[in-house]
Amino acid sequence: MLFLELFAQGLIYGCMYATIAVGLTLVYSLLRILHVAHAGLFALGGYLGLLLTNATGSLILALPLAAAAVGVVGMAIYRFCYEPILHRPPYVALIASIGLFIALEEIFRLIFGPYGLTYAQAPLQETFAMGGMTIRRVEIVIVVGSVLILGILSWLSRHTRLGVAWRATVDDPQMAASFGISVLKVRYLNFFIGSALAAVAGVFISLLSNLVEPTMGGVPSYKALAIIVLGGLGNVTGTLCASLLLGVTEAFGTIYIGNFMDRDAIAFAFMIVVLMVRPQGLFGGR
Amino acid sequence: MLRSKRVVLVVLGLVILGVANATGADTIKIGFNTPLTGFAASDGKSCSEGAKLAVDQINAEGGVLGRQLELVIYDDQAKPAQAIPIANKLIGKDKVVMGISGSYSGATRSAAGVFQENKIPYISAYAIHPDITRAGDYVFRTSFLGEIQGKAGAKLIGELMGKRKVVMITLQNDFGQSLAAGFKSVAERYGLAILNEYQYAIKDRQFGAMVAKVKADAPDAIYASGYYFTAGPLVSQLRAAGVTASVIGQEGYDSQKFIEIAGDAAEGVIITTSLDRDSTVPETVDFMKAFEQQAGFKVDMVAASGHTAVKVAAAALAKAGGTDPKALRDAIAAVELKASTGEIRFNALGEVMKAVQIQVVKAGNWRHYAVIDDPELLAPPEN
Amino acid sequence: MGIYEISLATVVGINVILALGLNLITGFCGQISLGHAAFYGIGAYTTALAAQSGVPGLVSLAAAMFAAAAIGVVVGLASLRVRHDFLAITTMGVGFLFLGIVRQEDRWLGGELGISAIPAFGLSKPGYLLFVLLLALLTAMLSGYINRSWMGFAFEAVADDEDTARVVGVDVAAYKLAAFSLGTALAGLAGGLYAYFTRFIVPDDFGFITSISILSMVAVGGIGSTTGVILGAGLLTLMPEFFRFISDYKLLVYGVLLFAVMRFAPEGLAGVGRSWLARWRLGRRAP
Repeated sequence: MLFLELFAQGLIYGCMYATIAVGLTLVYSLLRILHVAHAGLFALGGYLGLLLTNATGSLILALPLAAAAVGVVGMAIYRFCYEPILHRPPYVALIASIGLFIALEEIFRLIFGPYGLTYAQAPLQETFAMGGMTIRRVEIVIVVGSVLILGILSWLSRHTRLGVAWRATVDDPQMAASFGISVLKVRYLNFFIGSALAAVAGVFISLLSNLVEPTMGGVPSYKALAIIVLGGLGNVTGTLCASLLLGVTEAFGTIYIGNFMDRDAIAFAFMIVVLMVRPQGLFGGR
Repeated sequence: MLRSKRVVLVVLGLVILGVANATGADTIKIGFNTPLTGFAASDGKSCSEGAKLAVDQINAEGGVLGRQLELVIYDDQAKPAQAIPIANKLIGKDKVVMGISGSYSGATRSAAGVFQENKIPYISAYAIHPDITRAGDYVFRTSFLGEIQGKAGAKLIGELMGKRKVVMITLQNDFGQSLAAGFKSVAERYGLAILNEYQYAIKDRQFGAMVAKVKADAPDAIYASGYYFTAGPLVSQLRAAGVTASVIGQEGYDSQKFIEIAGDAAEGVIITTSLDRDSTVPETVDFMKAFEQQAGFKVDMVAASGHTAVKVAAAALAKAGGTDPKALRDAIAAVELKASTGEIRFNALGEVMKAVQIQVVKAGNWRHYAVIDDPELLAPPEN
Repeated sequence: MGIYEISLATVVGINVILALGLNLITGFCGQISLGHAAFYGIGAYTTALAAQSGVPGLVSLAAAMFAAAAIGVVVGLASLRVRHDFLAITTMGVGFLFLGIVRQEDRWLGGELGISAIPAFGLSKPGYLLFVLLLALLTAMLSGYINRSWMGFAFEAVADDEDTARVVGVDVAAYKLAAFSLGTALAGLAGGLYAYFTRFIVPDDFGFITSISILSMVAVGGIGSTTGVILGAGLLTLMPEFFRFISDYKLLVYGVLLFAVMRFAPEGLAGVGRSWLARWRLGRRAP
């Protein structure tokens, strides 16, 4: 019973990680940028989702609005922050991204205050029993929602013109460009989708803890990097598996080895062991 | 070109104005280091608001020794590497007569060493590291040690509430570690059986796995250390999973924000703290009213601690009759003061001796539950 | 110099050593490390323990360098196996692992409470400052020497393209290990100096944020340039002090500056300096 509950919790963590990390891995696969500021967009999503829910009273309305708005911000970040430095060595974009992330966190604090915000009436908090477990509706929404969103995206990438163009560009940008695919358009799309996913994850997290705070991007900022490395940098399927694996490892780890190692150390110990055995990540090619 | 010249002029003007302001008035300066940016910014804001209020109140009544008090506030981001230069700046540049820490343990302990070396009194408002006052005889603390609060928590659960089976959920930082040490040291005395202890990091907000395990442990009470931003999500997730055991916390919970985050789940949560919301003591009542007016949000323990530390400083100044550091130190050591966080007296080490307030969440507010005033249990170390 | 300037200059000196150490690994040898603070921490903890058991100052600093370099070689071995961005994240993981272990180790390392009451080094404050600055100067000279030596040349070859370097007969593994052991030994030295300076250390001093700020010093100064990195370390250490008057916006300014330097002057202060110098020379030649 406990085993099942821990597994369920691990699945919930894993779905959260996946929704955040997929965007990051999409950016990496196209541009080879470790996009730390992604975590800032995650926090922005949390803030917008909460503010819009409080203003309109409807989460159903707030969630897509927040996702779309953050998606646009993501596109702007690509255009104004990354595009001009793409030809530079990778650390340039990495540090620019870290600077951007710090600035975003500080902007949240200056505008919304250091104490964090809460929902006027937190939605989806009703609980019900299922197979002997007590589950909050928001937890179901997170799992079903993440699977649905990622599933739809994967279907679209296979069955629409834009999707096919996108996959072709990820595989081989030069070849794609020579076939007349606009690489720029694909990059914009990439940032839009990735950032919108981060925003969705931000809203989900805020529903779990009824709290958005300036520093809420802190943990995803580095843990999502571990996940995409584990998944083989730029490999979407790998990232999804790594997210679930890490989620479950953490759920069991915090209970059974939590008194020797904290959650971060567990996650990174796992990652280092995997990398020493498979230097290209769990699902990396090459 | 013209514009840049104008900018330079304006900046120059501002600088001159600033200098004139600083040297013109004959104020008594008190240094104050606190985290205004970075991860601890919320506590820094509360604490500095509380301290500013105390200064305003004192100045409105004519100041101390016929002079106005001035708080020199610097942001240390709760980092030791920044706190040390700040302490040196307060002493060397600003010539403060004493310092107050509105910061966390690391920054406070590092700055305390500097103040001690220069023989300038230093008061820690809410940092809990046991070694802070051991920096020397010029360092004092107006808040409880973590271990003492942990002991009070054990007494609360075992004696006042009559619970036996306890699960500990411990925050992995100096605060959580010293609370847990104190709690365990007297758990047996109050007949408590500790079923399990789980640890979490200050960044954690999702406790699903831990909650599932606690549910399986089926304790009577949960002793969970944390701050409002970890305890809020923890308590609501415990209750959502159907865990009904009493949750006992500490001063880290002590903020209206905790109740806001946890919502209905906060009801019945009991904490050990140093601020009594139902106090009839005029100092505390006045402070709570004035704070809400000035700051625009409800009072918390950290704000009250900042307020208390400044009040102690002012009382010592008045008593010493001047700003001689040695006389000031002796005056602080001999202080007996009714402040917003209770009656303040120091022991030989510079630790405060006061009663622990027990508060409970009732109808969405912190209310009085009990007081633990057991001098033997609450006695801070003497060296 | 007042006590404020002395304490500030000491921090600058320590950070210069720290940043030059990372520059050896990242700037010269091209191996990005996001976990440099762990070695800083290993040095600080080693010194603290040694000093507490009565070991003389210079010996405990040497022990700090040795301990950090020993672990540094292990991480260097990892760099033989994982490359580029994988290595960056692995080193980040090493940082978190170090922190996780130190946090839980409360018998020797004090756990979350850290180690306090570290004995003094035995010099006055100005004396200690001179000592730190002397070591910083030696580090800078070493760094300049390596850059001009055959080793520096080999480092550059590894940084440019490992595989080509291997083809032309550079022993890539040996040079990578050399870079890691030298760089981490310097981090250990800086950590030891820090422990004697604050005489109180807690795990949080050596976290991910510290690693990031060291890398930022190197990048803002100009990756690979000794002079640039010294300037970068000085600038970013003193910046919070410059911006005291806008207390509330300090960290915002820091973030924006990091971003702006990378966006508009990706070669850092050194790059800006070089281009000014070039323009000035050009101007003189053709009036």
